[in-house]
Amino acid sequence: MKNRNVVSLLMLVFGILCVLTLAHAQNAPEASEKGKEVYENSCAHCHGTEGRGDGSAAENLLPKPRDFTRGLYKIRSTESGQLPTDQDLFDIITEGMPGSSMPGWETSLSADDRWEVVAYIKTFYDGFKESETSPRVISLEDKIPYSEESVEIGKGLYVDLGCVECHGNVGRGDGTSAPTLTDEWGFQTWPANLTQGWNYRGGADTEDIFKRFIGGLAGSPMPAFEGDSFLHFGLTAEESTRLSELENKDEMTAAEEEASEQFYEKMDAAVDVALNRAEGMELSAAEQQTYNNAMKVVYEKSWHLANYVKSLSPEKRPESAIGNNVLRSQYVQGALPAMDDAAWETLQSGYFPLVGQIVIEPRQFNPTIDSVNVKSFYNDKETAFLFTWDDRTNTVGDETDEATGKTLEDALAIQFPVKVPQGPTAPKPYFLWGGRLPVYLWHWKASAPEQVTELTAKGINNAEVQEAQGELHVQSAYTNGQYKLWVKRSLKTDDKKDLQLEPGVFVPIAFSAWDGANGDIDTKRVMTSWYTFVLEPVPSSRRFVYPPLIAILSLGLLFGLRAVVQRRNSEEVKNM
Amino acid sequence: MKTYLLASLTVFLACCYVGGAFAADSGSGEMEMLVFPKAYKAKAVNNGGTISGVVTFEGDVPEMKVLEITKDQAICGATDKYDESLVVGEGNALKNTIVYLIDISAGKDFDKSTKLEIDQKDCKFSPHVQIVPLGVRVTMLNNDRVNHNVHIFSSINTPVNKQQTKNRKKMPLKAVKKAEGPVSVKCDIHGWMSAWIAYVPHPYFAVTNEKGEFTLEDVPAGDYKLGYWHEACGTNNKAPVAVTVAAGGTVTQDFTLKLK
Repeated sequence: MKNRNVVSLLMLVFGILCVLTLAHAQNAPEASEKGKEVYENSCAHCHGTEGRGDGSAAENLLPKPRDFTRGLYKIRSTESGQLPTDQDLFDIITEGMPGSSMPGWETSLSADDRWEVVAYIKTFYDGFKESETSPRVISLEDKIPYSEESVEIGKGLYVDLGCVECHGNVGRGDGTSAPTLTDEWGFQTWPANLTQGWNYRGGADTEDIFKRFIGGLAGSPMPAFEGDSFLHFGLTAEESTRLSELENKDEMTAAEEEASEQFYEKMDAAVDVALNRAEGMELSAAEQQTYNNAMKVVYEKSWHLANYVKSLSPEKRPESAIGNNVLRSQYVQGALPAMDDAAWETLQSGYFPLVGQIVIEPRQFNPTIDSVNVKSFYNDKETAFLFTWDDRTNTVGDETDEATGKTLEDALAIQFPVKVPQGPTAPKPYFLWGGRLPVYLWHWKASAPEQVTELTAKGINNAEVQEAQGELHVQSAYTNGQYKLWVKRSLKTDDKKDLQLEPGVFVPIAFSAWDGANGDIDTKRVMTSWYTFVLEPVPSSRRFVYPPLIAILSLGLLFGLRAVVQRRNSEEVKNM
Repeated sequence: MKTYLLASLTVFLACCYVGGAFAADSGSGEMEMLVFPKAYKAKAVNNGGTISGVVTFEGDVPEMKVLEITKDQAICGATDKYDESLVVGEGNALKNTIVYLIDISAGKDFDKSTKLEIDQKDCKFSPHVQIVPLGVRVTMLNNDRVNHNVHIFSSINTPVNKQQTKNRKKMPLKAVKKAEGPVSVKCDIHGWMSAWIAYVPHPYFAVTNEKGEFTLEDVPAGDYKLGYWHEACGTNNKAPVAVTVAAGGTVTQDFTLKLK
C-alpha cells in the first residue's frame, strides 16, 4: 500500500514535470554562459557588452542598434506596452531586420545558440524577470482576407487615423511630420516608406502590418492604435454611423439628445473596461463581453487598414537591372515622349538598388534612398531617359551642412564611360566616378530642377564641369515623396568628352544619389556600381522579305526537283 | 536576398573597420529626477501645517523662443507658440517649478475628486507640468481638430505612445503603479509640443503658478526636506532645504533658481 502511494506520488511528480517542460518548450532556456559567449562574439559589436546599444560599431548605424536595457522592442506580436514573447526575439535574431544593419543569423548561428542569445538578452532588462504573466499576444483570428473593397475601406482609415501625417499621401514616408521625428533615445528616425515592403523591419505580411499597427513600434514615434484610438470605440458600426449623424446636427430633439447620451455612456463604459484590462484588473464575464464587442469593430478596421498598406507595395523587391532585366531603351519612330506622357507606362522599369558609399570619407552608412528606377526610349536621333526615385523630403538647398558649410540638397548623377569598352573583357572606368579611364556624367540638382550639367570625372573628388555643355533637355518633378527626372540628348554629339550612343551596343551605366535631408553631400551619398543598358536594336524590316523569299524559292526548288524526278521515272517506265 | 545580405555584411564590416567609440547620449539617462520616499502611508492629518513660498529666477531672463510651427498651420499656427522650458513672469516669478516634500512617509491621502486633464489645444499641451498620483488616470483632451499622438517617455513605468485622432476629444490613459518623473510628454506629429508628467506616491507636491507661488497644505508636524525640480534650472537633490513644520503652523520658504 505504501509502495503504491510512492509510485503514484512519483507519477504525479513526473506528470507535473512533463506539463512544466511542455509549458516551457516555447520559452528560452535559462540564461547561461553559452548565451553570454555567443552574444559577446556575435552581437556585442553593435549592441554593446552591457546591451546598451553602444557597441563599437554603433556610432555609424542608423537605425541605432537596440538598447536592450529598456525592454523596448519594436517588432512584437504583443499588445502595446507589453514585452515581446521569446519567440518574437528568436524570430528577429533569425530573420534580421530588413532595411537596417541587423542581419539574419539563421545560417551563422545554430537554433540552440539563438535561443541562448534570447535568454541572455532578457537579462539586460529586469522587467522580464518581474513580469508574472506572459505578455498579451495580439489576436490574429477573424482576419479579413485581401479584397478591393477591404483595401478601399482601409484607404479611408489611413487618412482618418492619421497614418498620412508621417507616412504621406501614398505611403512613401514623406508625411508632413516625417522630417522632425526622433526615437526614444533622441536619434533622428524616418517613417517607413510603405511602398517598399522589402524594407519593413518586421516583415511585410498582412499579419505583420496588422501587429505593428495595433501594438505600435516601441521606442519609435510609431504609436499604437489601441482600441480607443478609434472613432466611437465601443459602438457597433451602425451605432457609430447613427451617432455621427446626430453629432453633425445643428440642433437635436430631446429624444436625439437622449440617444446620443446613451451612446456616450456606452463608449465611456467600453473605454473604462479597456483601461481596467490594461491596468491588469480581472474582467467580469460581462465586462469581457463589452471589451470583445468593442474590439471586434476595431480589429475589423485594422485588418482593412493592413490590407490597404499591403496594397501599397509590390509583393517582392524588384529584380535588379541585370541579366534578363538589363535596361533596354525602346525604339520609337518620331518624337520621344515627354516626362508626363502615358507612353512611359508601357515600359518596364530597370531597378537599380543604391547602397551607401563607404569607400571614401565622408561615408554614408545610413542610406535613405532605396533605389532608382529607369526607363528609356530612343529614335533615330535622340534618346530620352526617365529616372524616378523615392526621397522623403524635397531638399532644395536651403539647409547647410554643419561640417563643411556647404549647401545640402537632393541630387542625382548618371554615370557613363566616356568611351564604351570594346568587348566584355575590356576594362571599365573605376565605378567611383572613374580614375585612369574617365567617366561622363549627367548631374542634376534639386535647386536647379530644369537643368542637367555635364561633367567629366577622373575620380570621386576629381570632377570637372565640361566647358562645352551639350544640349540636354530636362524636365523634373517632386510629388508625394518621389522625384521624376526626364533627360533627352542626341545620340551623337560633337564633343569628344561626351559618350556617343549607337543601337545594339551595351553601355555601362551607374548612379549616385544624394538626400540632402539625410546629410548627403559630396562623397557621402548612395550609389550603384556599373550596370549596363542598351539601345535595343530595331529588328530589321528585312525579316519580312528574306525569310519568305527563301521559303518560296526552296519550295519552288523542291517542286522543280520533284517534277524532274517524276518525269525521269515516267521515262524509265516507258523505256522498259 | 543574397545581395541584400552581402550589402549588410559589407556595411557591418566597414562599420567595424571604422570603429570608434560611441559616446552615449547623456540626455534623459542622467536627467535629474524627483526623489520619492521608499514607502508612503495615507492617514488622517489633523491640525497640519502649511509650507508656502515663491520661486524666483536669478540671472538675465532670456527672451522666450518662438517655436517653429512646421505643419497644420491653420490650427497650430494661429497664435505664436513659445518654448515653455523657462517661463519667467513679473518680479522674476518662475512658473512650472515642482516644490515637494522629499522624505515624507505618512500623511494625507490624495484628493481624488479633482479631474486630471492635460489639454491639447492649438497644438500645445497645458498645463506644461502635471502632477499625477499613482493609480489615477489622467485624461488627454484633444480640442484641436487635428491628429495628435500622446507619447510619454517613461522609463520606470511602461512608455505610452498612443494615437489620439482628431475625433477623439477625451482619451483617458491607464494609471501607473510606480513613482517616476518628471517624464517627458511629446507629440511626434507636432514635434514642438512638450510637457512633463510626474507620477507621484503622495500628495505633497505643488507646481508654481505664474506668480511663482506654491503651497503645500495639511503637512503633519515634523522635520522635512523640501525639494524642487525645474525643467531648465534642475533640482536641489544634492542639498535640499530643511524645514520644520509646527502643528497648525505656517512655514515660508522661497527659492531662487539659476539656469543649470
